[in-house]
Amino acid sequence: MSRAVVAPIAILAGALLLAGLIFGAIGSSLFGLGDPKLVTQPVLHLAPQPVACIGGEFVGAVCEGGFAITNTLISAWLTTAVILFFFIVGTRKAALVPSRLQSIIEVLIEAILGFVTSVAGEKNGRRFFPILMTIFVFVAFNAWMALLPIYPNVGFRADPNGPVTTHLLRSAGTDVNLPLALAIISFFFVEIWGLKVHGIGYFREFIRLGGLIKGIVKFKPGMIFYGAINAAIGILEALSHMIRLLSFTFRLFGNMVAGEIVLFMVTFLVVFLVPVTFYFLEILVGGVQALIFTGLTLVFAVMAVAPHAEHEEEH
Amino acid sequence: METLAILAATAGGTAIGAEAAKWLGVGLAGLGLAGAGIGLGILGNGAMNALGRNPDARDAIVPNMVLALAFTEAIGIYGLVTAILLIFVA
Repeated sequence: MSRAVVAPIAILAGALLLAGLIFGAIGSSLFGLGDPKLVTQPVLHLAPQPVACIGGEFVGAVCEGGFAITNTLISAWLTTAVILFFFIVGTRKAALVPSRLQSIIEVLIEAILGFVTSVAGEKNGRRFFPILMTIFVFVAFNAWMALLPIYPNVGFRADPNGPVTTHLLRSAGTDVNLPLALAIISFFFVEIWGLKVHGIGYFREFIRLGGLIKGIVKFKPGMIFYGAINAAIGILEALSHMIRLLSFTFRLFGNMVAGEIVLFMVTFLVVFLVPVTFYFLEILVGGVQALIFTGLTLVFAVMAVAPHAEHEEEH
Repeated sequence: METLAILAATAGGTAIGAEAAKWLGVGLAGLGLAGAGIGLGILGNGAMNALGRNPDARDAIVPNMVLALAFTEAIGIYGLVTAILLIFVA
């Protein structure tokens, strides 16, 4: 770009940055300007806020005795609609020479399918692929759509001159129910795949009493010792399967909530230009968290369907 | 919170209020992120060493490193979630 084009853009960017610093929160408290003129202090909620109550009524900010339709639920519906639109319209007239939307979908599917089959092998990869692709697309689209500017700005006000207090849309990952639901689904499917491949023998992973019983019957202290350790390891395995539910939930929840708080705070402190870097960070975090959720489910599924290693300990 | 107050009072000092104890807890929960940071650095160190010795093994090293990064990051996020829960819910 020639100097004649860069110079005005640089001056404008510098002016925006300076104005944001001075009239945002940092400058207002440094120079004693009172309340920041450009932005209002963000009100951070942890729990999702109910927008409508079906069969109950609002008592304060909570829905009593009915089904609360929260802003995260509306946001998840919107994401589902966008995903369906994206994939249905893209594959409607599927041609051998793909259109633009179809080629985007092909790139996405080939990337995830390659990843899944590289870890799980060809046959298992194809079996795991639908669930894993759904989890990836759902988490990623939820995280990315929350970066649209419509999300923090549309909602209901408590008083007509103040800021928006009840948002209409909010990132679905910030409601702890969504990561919990995805974690339960992933746990459920991993166990189902393990049971399908191994039958009832899948529980031999957790109940490893063979060595202990043989040791007690033959009355060899060495075998009893190793048998007891094996049994304890089996219990630890069962425990670690349960702990995965918690770790999946809080990994996704923590990342989404921390991202939302960071974006609000940075926009409050420095109003212009600097939040753009944090938006790039949030795009990265959304994609990475989707990939990690999918990848970890894949790894646990591969471990669950792996053929048992036969331990033959003859002492 | 009440236990802390009772302990402080019987030790002869002034009792800490529940609010102060809560914010102290928030700060202490944030300290847990140090462990996550150190762990991520150690992982990066191992990956850089391995890549330096054998740059052709990138396809074997990098995905495994990212997987281990996810596990380690999650521990720091547990601490962050504890702090957030204390701020908003307690």
